[in-house]
Amino acid sequence: MSENVAVAGHAPGAMEHGGHPGPGVYAIIAVILVILTLMELTVYYVPALQPVLVPILILLAIAKFILVAGFYMHLHYDQKIFSIFFVFPLVLACFIGAALMMIFSALGTHLAL
Amino acid sequence: MAAQPKELALEHANYLTSERGIYSWLTTVDHKRVAVLYGIASLFFMLIGGIEAMLIRTQLAVPDNTVLSAQVYNQMFTMHGTTMIFMVVMPLEMGFFANFLIPLQVGARDVAFPRINALSFWVFLFGALFMNVGWFTLSLPDAGWFGYANLTERYYTPGINIDLWNIGLLILGVSTLLSGLNFFVTIVNMRARGMTFMRMPMFMWAMLVTTILILLAFPCLTVGLIFLFLDRFVGTHFYRVAIGATPILWQHLFWLFGHPEVYIMALPAFGMMSEIIPVFARKPLFGYAGMAYSIVLIGFLSYGVWGHHMFATGMGPVADSTFAITTMLIALPTGVKIFSWIATIWGGSLRMKTAFLFAVGAVLEFTIGGLSGVMHATVPVDLQQTDTYIVVAHFHYVLFGGMMFAILGSFFYWWPKITGRMMSETMGKWQFWLTIIAFNGTFFPMHFLGVWGMPRRIYTYAPGMGWSFWNMFETLSAYLLFLTFVLFGINLIWSLFYGEKAEADPWDGRTLEWAIPSPPPPYNFETLPLVRGRDAFWVDKYGVMVEEGHGHGSAPAYGETSGAAPAAEHAPSEHGPIHMPAPSLYPLLFGLSLTLGGIGALMDWYRIDILAALFLFLSIIGMAFEYADHGEEHVHADPPTYRGIDHRKAGMWAFLGSECVFFACLISTYLVYKPRNVGVGAEVLNIPLTSFSTFILLMSSFLMVLALAATQRGDRKWSTIWLFGTAFFGLIFLGGQVYEFSTLFLDEHLSMQGSLFGQTFYTLVGTHGCHVAIGVIWLFVMAVASLGGRVGKSRALSVEIAGLYWHFVDVVWILIFTLIYLMRTVKGA
Repeated sequence: MSENVAVAGHAPGAMEHGGHPGPGVYAIIAVILVILTLMELTVYYVPALQPVLVPILILLAIAKFILVAGFYMHLHYDQKIFSIFFVFPLVLACFIGAALMMIFSALGTHLAL
Repeated sequence: MAAQPKELALEHANYLTSERGIYSWLTTVDHKRVAVLYGIASLFFMLIGGIEAMLIRTQLAVPDNTVLSAQVYNQMFTMHGTTMIFMVVMPLEMGFFANFLIPLQVGARDVAFPRINALSFWVFLFGALFMNVGWFTLSLPDAGWFGYANLTERYYTPGINIDLWNIGLLILGVSTLLSGLNFFVTIVNMRARGMTFMRMPMFMWAMLVTTILILLAFPCLTVGLIFLFLDRFVGTHFYRVAIGATPILWQHLFWLFGHPEVYIMALPAFGMMSEIIPVFARKPLFGYAGMAYSIVLIGFLSYGVWGHHMFATGMGPVADSTFAITTMLIALPTGVKIFSWIATIWGGSLRMKTAFLFAVGAVLEFTIGGLSGVMHATVPVDLQQTDTYIVVAHFHYVLFGGMMFAILGSFFYWWPKITGRMMSETMGKWQFWLTIIAFNGTFFPMHFLGVWGMPRRIYTYAPGMGWSFWNMFETLSAYLLFLTFVLFGINLIWSLFYGEKAEADPWDGRTLEWAIPSPPPPYNFETLPLVRGRDAFWVDKYGVMVEEGHGHGSAPAYGETSGAAPAAEHAPSEHGPIHMPAPSLYPLLFGLSLTLGGIGALMDWYRIDILAALFLFLSIIGMAFEYADHGEEHVHADPPTYRGIDHRKAGMWAFLGSECVFFACLISTYLVYKPRNVGVGAEVLNIPLTSFSTFILLMSSFLMVLALAATQRGDRKWSTIWLFGTAFFGLIFLGGQVYEFSTLFLDEHLSMQGSLFGQTFYTLVGTHGCHVAIGVIWLFVMAVASLGGRVGKSRALSVEIAGLYWHFVDVVWILIFTLIYLMRTVKGA
């Protein structure tokens, strides 16, 4: 049998190291990560921003998370299947966290625990 | 000394006879031999679990019975559940059948990580033996297979009973997780050319979803068990109300694992039934796509139903309603499967072989169990039935009626392939009919007893309750059921000596395993198959393709035959010897070391723990460099996959996905307990110090990608420097954490035992710190290897995989820094 027969539904093999960014892009991402962390600290220490502390900090954390996962872990460049491997459990993890917090807050309210 | 990959000449005999001697079994990494080891161990534990069941039934045969004391009865029902789930059903389905069949059905020569496969077995075996040590000390676990807190706290159960259960399950969890990861990568990445997802055998669909469930459910149990371990050994109070905690947390963590666990056991059984029924009905599986989607949907929904085990805990009407609806929803895809099996049988040219009878029996009995499950999903009804014998009836109809029937059918179906011998049909049919009678006689009356109010987990009952007759009836039926398994054991052993020799394809099968001799050769396929349709071997034999949208009788899409030629027609090999991974003793050493660590923890012998850690480290390092002179293990085990992705990279991503759930459970616990904390809280956290640590960790990630870039361009000098730099930054981070913990402990008197905040904070941040420490060791080893010239351009992937782990540790810290430190003043997170 021929190994070269085209097979429906399958992408051809991708180069293992192809498409990764170089040190320049990595450096830019590092600078952005530092800036975002400084922004987090600013938000934390400025009293006027306290009312919006939670949403801003969560947004900044998500931004940092995406930058590291996308560029340093190469999800942005690699085969999409890796993103599926990671994002699906991540969504499930968020669901578990949200569900537990909702259930326990309800439990605390109902039973005054 | 580096191990040499085996070169197998094609004229070698089958996998059972190609190597001889005990040492060859101790060091084997062949998935078929590992499967056989699993099978032997699981059958042994099935005997133990069966004896436990007989003791339970003997005690309940008559009122006020004194055969067992209450204490021993508790141990028996705890170990019966734990044994049957973790040491019988799961290892038989996963370790035995799936291990043997996954590479054969996807057309591969072995699993993705053969040595990890062997490692999983040894960890399983020693973990299971560890848990059964209590037989000799009369201190078996005794708090139920669910181990409800706070019954499991040392205050209430001071002996080693629960410690055996706790540590034993942690060890077994390692085995299961590694198996799940291994099989997941094998199915995703090692399918033969042409085997698209919609051409996979249904058993492969079932195993794919099962492995995902394992990867994403077991971390919840692991976290729950770690909390229990800390409560019992360190003095924390994760499940004690004394300092504001709640035992309900254990139930959530346990059932977050526990209900997917039901499907971890059920889906492989569904897959087995879906393989057996079409073969003996001589029809293609009805509604293939619907069956596949149903399996996926069942797996997805299984994460949203855990609360139906907890209706009686008072979760509130919204949670109760939600879990009731999701539980009823799961009946829909399950119904699709049942009707598809019936439709497959309908109009078929049936061959009433024992395997088929058991598969049909599984459909029947599982349907009964499923229907009572829907009944339990109704909250007001469930509140009446909770903790009565109707629940015992329900889950035995599911677990025994569904899963064990499917397993027994699978023995008759695949035994010829595994051993090369046919089992006796006469004994098999006697066994089947007696099993049907005895099984229903044992468990059906439990429905009545439950409705009449007999609670489960009671060791005796008073006369005059109206329960005596049916209990005696159940006990006698249970004895008969035990005898059917004796008959089964006789049949297994008889077949090995006197059974008819099996042909390659004794059942006129449809899938690739029937294309090769029985038993298979060590390398499985002489030439890796090219799959041109669903039911690949059937297409090959009859030139008929069954494909979604094509119907029966369509012409094969890519030619007259698939690549899987019948065994008798194997052409003489035109290529050289086939390379297979070499045997290894390290998996055995790893399993022993892990269990040794458990013994050290159990007996509080820290020197044993240090020794175990040393052996663990040595076995990991040994495995890492075992193939150093010959490239990575998988290169020799398999040709490049057409997906073009490396097994190790796919495995690392799957592992990181599992870690997401692990940390989600830890972080959720912190956030759940935060508003309940009394005393010293998050206000004592040192923000400037941890901000500095955050910068350090972020920069370490930067150095890590620089190391990868240098390795990829073959720059050994800078690769080594950046690797050392990353590890050094990791050390600085760890140093900061040690300083932070010391300050909190000494200056702020924040202990793990004193407050909810202390125990959740130290556990979460400390666990992350352990991950960092593992990463630092990994990076130092890699940096030293790079210094010695062993991490060149061709090994850039090894650096990338280490980097993935390191960056993951970084992103977890990003979340911890925000949620725990920067939001420290936010109440009621």
